[in-house]
Amino acid sequence: MKPRPATGRRLINAAVSVLATLSAVLGMAILAWIIGVVVVRGLGAFNLAFFTQLPTPPGMEGGGLANAIIGTVVMTLLATLVAVPLGLLSGVYLAEFGRGSRLADNTRFSANVLIGMPSIIIGIFAYAMVVVPLGRFSGYAGALALAIIMLPIVARTTEDMLGLVPDALREAGLALGAPRWRITLAIVFRAAKAGLITGVCLAVARVSGETAPLLFTALNSPYWPGWLSEPTPNLTVTIFNYAMSPYPDWQRLAWGASLLITLGVLTLTTLARWSLRERLR
Amino acid sequence: MKVLAALPRLQLLSAAAADEAVATVVAKAEAPAKIVCRQVNFFYGDHQALFDNNLEINRNQVTAIIGPSGCGKSTHIRIYNRIYELYPDQRAAGEVLLDGHNILDPAYDLMELRRKVGMIFQQPTPFPMSVFDNVAFGLRFYYRLGKGELADRVEEALSRAALWEEVKDQLRHPGTALSGGQQQRLCIARALAVEPEVLLMDEPTSAIDPIATAKIEELVTELRSKYTIVIVTHNLQQAARVSDYTAFFYQGRIIEFGATPKIFTKPANKKTEEYITGRFG
Repeated sequence: MKPRPATGRRLINAAVSVLATLSAVLGMAILAWIIGVVVVRGLGAFNLAFFTQLPTPPGMEGGGLANAIIGTVVMTLLATLVAVPLGLLSGVYLAEFGRGSRLADNTRFSANVLIGMPSIIIGIFAYAMVVVPLGRFSGYAGALALAIIMLPIVARTTEDMLGLVPDALREAGLALGAPRWRITLAIVFRAAKAGLITGVCLAVARVSGETAPLLFTALNSPYWPGWLSEPTPNLTVTIFNYAMSPYPDWQRLAWGASLLITLGVLTLTTLARWSLRERLR
Repeated sequence: MKVLAALPRLQLLSAAAADEAVATVVAKAEAPAKIVCRQVNFFYGDHQALFDNNLEINRNQVTAIIGPSGCGKSTHIRIYNRIYELYPDQRAAGEVLLDGHNILDPAYDLMELRRKVGMIFQQPTPFPMSVFDNVAFGLRFYYRLGKGELADRVEEALSRAALWEEVKDQLRHPGTALSGGQQQRLCIARALAVEPEVLLMDEPTSAIDPIATAKIEELVTELRSKYTIVIVTHNLQQAARVSDYTAFFYQGRIIEFGATPKIFTKPANKKTEEYITGRFG
């Protein structure tokens, strides 16, 4: 047998490794570029007024996005309060009680489809279900749309995280005579705590940047958010409106809002990573 | 002898209950079999794993179950506390009498069964909580106990598992932070805390080091005075050291059962002899 020469193999190996490294660096570079631009443009908008004042009419100096910040926080919070308990419970069903059942399989499939659903469709659904019957845009409709987006994410991550808990722990609990719900809450949840927190953080991060579902639901407003039954100011739709406006002041606010959301998402993702790291220790 | 052996345990009980307990102990002494298996068959889905198992487990004795991998040793003892019911496709048929009552009867209370029949697994399974809470876990849902009483019972269980001296200063530390051997004794303490009558041990030393193994074997010998112990083991020397009776399983059938010295020196069955002398398995 004649041996193949090594040169070709070495060349290809070197080429593939260089290409892979370059692609990885490119991915990181793009993220760094985006964050860089957002920070440079947005930091100029940050001042006390940005966090404390209402936006000004076009042409007037100053103003801030305090109303939109509050509106976004309140709607996200409400969506979280609705989606997290429901999502956790459905995750518990998928991973514990409904294991292998047909209902669980169908639920899992629906959740996967829902996760992949474009968010604008969920926005238009909330529009048709809530905004049209009530005759006006409202923060509730916005929160509902956000909750629908969060629900399948929380349910699926909960299932995955509970699935990582070894059955040996469940058996040990059962062997002591503990009922299933007690094992789930006192043992399995505790063992999966870090993973569950991560799931919730990522779900919140995901919806805090959503624009499309709020466009037809919460709409936007230049005033202080009163009741959620009225159009509710929020950061993402504000970015959408202000960035396309011809007024430099508004464009500046849009950059500021972008930076704020970016920081929020970065914080949540970091928290999620950090809590997972805690688990592994 | 048996009455004397039960004395320390009686200190926990009131005087009236003590009389009753003595009476029970006396009654028990008359009927040596704690567990009687009659024609037990076991199925994983369509696959039959145990065939017509008949076995008597004697009270306050250690019964070892030996046999090559996959012969149904673990499967057999997992029937005694119906832990297999966690998996919907597993099914047992026949009769398993615990003190004369058929535990396979669906009407037999599972919680009560699992209080009476504790189980120790191959891998130590500390719950993700403190050493104290691990031991208190079962106590908390079986008994109504004041704080002081709970602490006393936890200490007593840890002492019986020969672990108290090592962990008394770290009761608040996580149970998962203990060494492997300590974790296994923690699991034993946790099982002992709820006052079981039978202890099932499924290869309890296969995942821990030789020194910790020696400690656990010593413990098994001590615990025999109060509990009926069934231990599945891969280690023939271990079976010879700790057990009074030995059952040899092969391909889901009980090939031979008898006093340990007899099984190890003069086995009646050819297969048993081959296994004991290391010709297969």
